[in-house]
Amino acid sequence: MVRRARASLTFTSPLHDVRTAAWLGALLGVSFTTCFVTGLTSHLIHHPPSRFEWPARPAGLYRVSQGVHVATGIASVPLLLAKLWTVYPHFWASPPVRSIAHGIERLTLLPLVGGSLFMLVTGTMNLARWYAFGFDFTATHYAVAWITVGGLVAHVGAKWAVARAALWPPRTADPTAPATPSPPRTGGVSRRGFLGAVGAGAGVLTLVTAGQTVHPLRALSVLGPRDPAVGPQGFPVNKSAVGAGVVAAATDPAFRLTVDGIVARRLSLSLDDLRSLPQHEATLPIACVEGWSASARWRGVRVRDLLDMAGAPRSATARVVSLQARSRYRTSDLHAGQLDDPDTLLALEVNGEPLHLDHGYPLRLIAPNRPGVQQTKWVTRVIAR
Amino acid sequence: MTRGQLVGLAASAPFAAVGVGALLRNADATHPARAVAWIVGAAVAHDFVLAPLVFTLGALVRRAPLGRARVWVVTGLVVSGVVALWSWPFVRGYGRLANNPSVLPRNYGMGLAVTLVAVWTAVLVMTLVARRGGTGRAERRADGRTPG
Repeated sequence: MVRRARASLTFTSPLHDVRTAAWLGALLGVSFTTCFVTGLTSHLIHHPPSRFEWPARPAGLYRVSQGVHVATGIASVPLLLAKLWTVYPHFWASPPVRSIAHGIERLTLLPLVGGSLFMLVTGTMNLARWYAFGFDFTATHYAVAWITVGGLVAHVGAKWAVARAALWPPRTADPTAPATPSPPRTGGVSRRGFLGAVGAGAGVLTLVTAGQTVHPLRALSVLGPRDPAVGPQGFPVNKSAVGAGVVAAATDPAFRLTVDGIVARRLSLSLDDLRSLPQHEATLPIACVEGWSASARWRGVRVRDLLDMAGAPRSATARVVSLQARSRYRTSDLHAGQLDDPDTLLALEVNGEPLHLDHGYPLRLIAPNRPGVQQTKWVTRVIAR
Repeated sequence: MTRGQLVGLAASAPFAAVGVGALLRNADATHPARAVAWIVGAAVAHDFVLAPLVFTLGALVRRAPLGRARVWVVTGLVVSGVVALWSWPFVRGYGRLANNPSVLPRNYGMGLAVTLVAVWTAVLVMTLVARRGGTGRAERRADGRTPG
């Protein structure tokens, strides 16, 4: 009794109520589901299971999907903190466990609360490229996402009836009588005011960051992790040539592109050889897994033309290999559908200039609807498979 | 145990299994002990550091005689707190790379300052508007006219 009385003295706001918690929970349910679906999509593209073929069109689909993933994750920060604030008095409830069922319910909150905070904290740290956590970001973010959503599903099951009654109260005989009474006014902020403040937090965070994806907002994005107009040749890079350790190999005058694998004749082409082949242009985005994206006008040789020159079967897939000695992204694969797209190029130029070293000079892959890390830079070999 | 709780637990099991499986299967990359430490650590940091700070601040604001400005001041505090907390690693610039100036290309300290000035300017304007509206309504009531 004493502890309960103390708790009620500490947490006096009427906003620690079921209806406020249900509203925030519903909003978080939408935002976390959006993040989970778009994150899972990105994972499937990066680690495609057999028979999974991510389409080449629409060209900007990944740009939108990953932009939504990151923007929704950022906007979820105030929603999650507000939700935790609303239900925080329950953390100190006395007795801590009322029954086995209540104990299990509380136990499932650890993966939900800890996992949710983990996802937003590590996601933000990844945007800031601050890898202080001592584990691989993508693999761990992916695994904990499933655990968090598991906690979310268990929580929704436990709270569904209460939340439904709070969000959609049953009709009463007296239409003027509210089924779920509003919190008593005690001089504090109303529920509408509180939810408005949380919405303002989400809105401002979105406004000051979304310009890395939504370019008209660029001038307002004073906290955007990237500026889509800053970088060599006017757009960003994730890995520089120095960082990738390819400067000497990429600038070697003896550079040649090899086309081999299941081919009738192996090709070995110099840069002049490549420039003498039919050139094609395409305006395509670099769309990074970190949510930023930037379009550019690319010019180069169709990968399909090179495979045809080498006599590879039309059904073949292709593996594109970079000069990078050690990187999980030193190769990327193109399925037949992607190879058939006329905009799938090995680019020699961007925006009318030879590629900058940091953009993959002398040769990079550029193709529609692919994550940036699969637009392999410093390409030295194409293997028909 | 309610039916909803049972259904929720049953439905959550496959998600949890995939997650734990991915965590353990790629242990070289995920370092499960570190990952769990971060999950628990995040919850502990929230429940025992961040939340008490916010509740202390909330208690101070609750006692302040803010009148009609209260909702806007609270909104300003919520927005400022969230933006400052989220942008902290950017302001500190831990992830900057000497060989890649396109990573974290902005002056984030300045960006945060500009954002806070804009937020509190909006709070000031909305407070003045609310006060003027309140005064107007009070005057109309004094005139015997019904508000709105």
